Amino acid sequence: MSATASQAITLQSKFSLKEWIFTTDHKRVGVLYLVGSFAAFFVAGIMAMLMRTELASIGPTVTSNPTTYNMWLYFHGAAMILGYQIPALTGFFTNYYVPLMIGAKDVAFPRLNAFSVWLFWMGIVLALLTFVIPDPPDIMWTGYPPYSVITPGNTALYTFTVLLIGFSSIAGGVNFLTTIIRMRAPGITWNKLNIFIWCTMAAFVIQLIFVPILGVAVTMLSLDKYLGTHFFDATAGGTPLLYENLFWFYSHPAVYVIFLPAVGIIYEIVATFSKNRIFNYKGVVYGGIWGTVILSGIVHGHHIYVSAIPDWLVMIQTITTLLISIPVGLLVIGLVGTLYKGSIEFKTPMLYVAGFFFLFLIGGLTGIPNAMSAIYIHIHGTQWITGHFHYVMAVSVTTAIIGGTYYVWPKMTGKMYNEALGKLGFLLFFIGVNITFFFTMYIGVVYGMPRRYYDYAQFPQIEGIQKVITFGSYIILLGALVVLISWIHSLIWGEKAPNNPWGSKSLEWTHTQSPPPQGNYTEPVKVSEDWNPYGYGK
Amino acid sequence: MHEHAIQHEVSWHTSVWPLALSIGVLFLAPLSFIFYFVYKNPMISAITLGIGAPLTLISIIGWVKEGMEDAHGYSEGHSVWAMPIFVVAEAMLFIGFFAAYWATRLTAPVWPPAGTPDMPVTIPLIMTAILVASSITIHMAEKNLEHEPGSKGGFLNWLIITIILGATFLGLSAYEWSELMHKGFNIKTNIYSTSFFSLTGFHGSHVLVGLGIFACALIPAFAGKVNKPFVKAASIYWHFVDVVWFFVVSQVYFW
Repeated sequence: MSATASQAITLQSKFSLKEWIFTTDHKRVGVLYLVGSFAAFFVAGIMAMLMRTELASIGPTVTSNPTTYNMWLYFHGAAMILGYQIPALTGFFTNYYVPLMIGAKDVAFPRLNAFSVWLFWMGIVLALLTFVIPDPPDIMWTGYPPYSVITPGNTALYTFTVLLIGFSSIAGGVNFLTTIIRMRAPGITWNKLNIFIWCTMAAFVIQLIFVPILGVAVTMLSLDKYLGTHFFDATAGGTPLLYENLFWFYSHPAVYVIFLPAVGIIYEIVATFSKNRIFNYKGVVYGGIWGTVILSGIVHGHHIYVSAIPDWLVMIQTITTLLISIPVGLLVIGLVGTLYKGSIEFKTPMLYVAGFFFLFLIGGLTGIPNAMSAIYIHIHGTQWITGHFHYVMAVSVTTAIIGGTYYVWPKMTGKMYNEALGKLGFLLFFIGVNITFFFTMYIGVVYGMPRRYYDYAQFPQIEGIQKVITFGSYIILLGALVVLISWIHSLIWGEKAPNNPWGSKSLEWTHTQSPPPQGNYTEPVKVSEDWNPYGYGK
Repeated sequence: MHEHAIQHEVSWHTSVWPLALSIGVLFLAPLSFIFYFVYKNPMISAITLGIGAPLTLISIIGWVKEGMEDAHGYSEGHSVWAMPIFVVAEAMLFIGFFAAYWATRLTAPVWPPAGTPDMPVTIPLIMTAILVASSITIHMAEKNLEHEPGSKGGFLNWLIITIILGATFLGLSAYEWSELMHKGFNIKTNIYSTSFFSLTGFHGSHVLVGLGIFACALIPAFAGKVNKPFVKAASIYWHFVDVVWFFVVSQVYFW
């Protein structure tokens, strides 16, 4: 046995490109998702830096061409959401964790899984063409008609980027829902699933129901622009409002596609580093997670309060939007309750969790006035909104992604990372995002600075604050570089990781080596009656 | 057995087809469309199509062949569970197009809008009958497969009949489209034609995909290889396409 095991390890350590690009193993597919999504994060982050530098002073700073600025804006939004957040969460983490956590040897359809990741990569390739074509899209990530239909920019590129990544998501959803339903190891019953598994299921249910609607919306956009149909053509009986409805009918639930797996990762980290059971498990699962799913489809109207929808609908949407605080509140209470009387250990992943608590709190609280239509119409289209959604879905989710990557790192790479570097990266990131997005909200709500503007000659009094915001964004960049350095450092000089460095009770830590071999578990997993992934203190 | 399990672990499973298929899809759809419609360059579009179409086809063939050989023991009957989940997503696609149709139709001052000829009645009824018949024949194929696992004859015959019916449906659809286009009713004509052609075309593309899936079951079946869960999943998909047609035909022809 030990001879075979050591042979397995030597065979694994030999790097073979063929085994990576043609892989059907869920862990390697996961790593491909990780690389692809962080590549998108990197390029979209560069766009953010360019935009912030442009806004550091009044008048042309980096470019004198507003269309170039629009292209950055387009790429930043589209790549951050479709290329980074969704694939990192429902691609990387899902692939890495789900089969391990349910004791399966792989997913239900390993080749479909590999197809999903490569389709996503093709989407990234298509998105990157933005930088080489003469007519880059300039339609934000929202692509509202009529502008997107009449612009000289390449709307088809946007359409197909969305379609490729969207189809990749649907294939992933079919695959993982089947996997979770069919492939749980004996003894892993529904109420003993990791919270992350529930979050993944919920996210994929949302994807399956709503992604097709986005696919339809962007398809109609290109049909209108290139084939001459009239879906959004008001002169022929179509309506641009149709697009806004279809688009947000997906894109609001997309926020939960991002939020739920992120909060799932946070739950795993909190339970492990508090050595504590999940507080109110059933409330979290059936109320928090599935409650969010149920509400997700009836709130999208709050994105189009000012787009001429009827008043009675605005009122209903205000109420349904505020209702979202109930399931989200259950999720947060579950987190706090899990910390309660736990034996908390502040390793790097846990620091990111602490960051998540703070950032999500700010993001959530600033969302409440936005939900109320009477307040919203006054702050619509200002930098306040930009600051708010960066807090709630950009940076708080990024703390989950980076913290979660640190958490899974020893299992994935078989190497430990350097705690000091990990903590330094977090500190810089945390300080940077707060400087950046606090003041972004401030100039929006106090001075009425509009979002998406290339220049702001009419607001000379905020040039100083704009410089502070830009300075903050450079600190974020520095933090991201430290994170990257800590990972490279770990890959080269990291100590060998034990199988369960965190002392977790979850299957992926207790039942297999770091990193797990092909097939995940050397023997088929079977858990006992009293097993629980959060069974601490037994 | 245990020895075998360990040996199994050390080699990483691979397949070239997922990557090949994704590259094929990239060339086939996005690049060809963009070169043709955005950059008005049929030459390059033909080249990307020439790369994408064969690559996609070869990848699908390779994929199915590999699946039939099943070196890694992938086939565990999950497809019967996966297909209904996929159908949910497919249904939402149609709901999106129907939502557009209803939204534009219910707010229109006059219906049908100017430029609409008299819509055909006979052909859509024949098409409906054909599609319903094909749903029954695929069910028969499935039944034959279950009851007589030894002989593939009954299964094959019913499957071939289903494919012929599906192809006839598509042929009639194409005939009807060309008739309407001769009357000057095309996708650009008005808001009704927009929905008419997108809904019927989108449904037709699903029939085509259904036929493709049947071909993936039929060709290996000639060599005596039948994957029962796959056939079952294909059948579920086909019934779905049939049900959607009832919505299409009732909404865009007879309302």
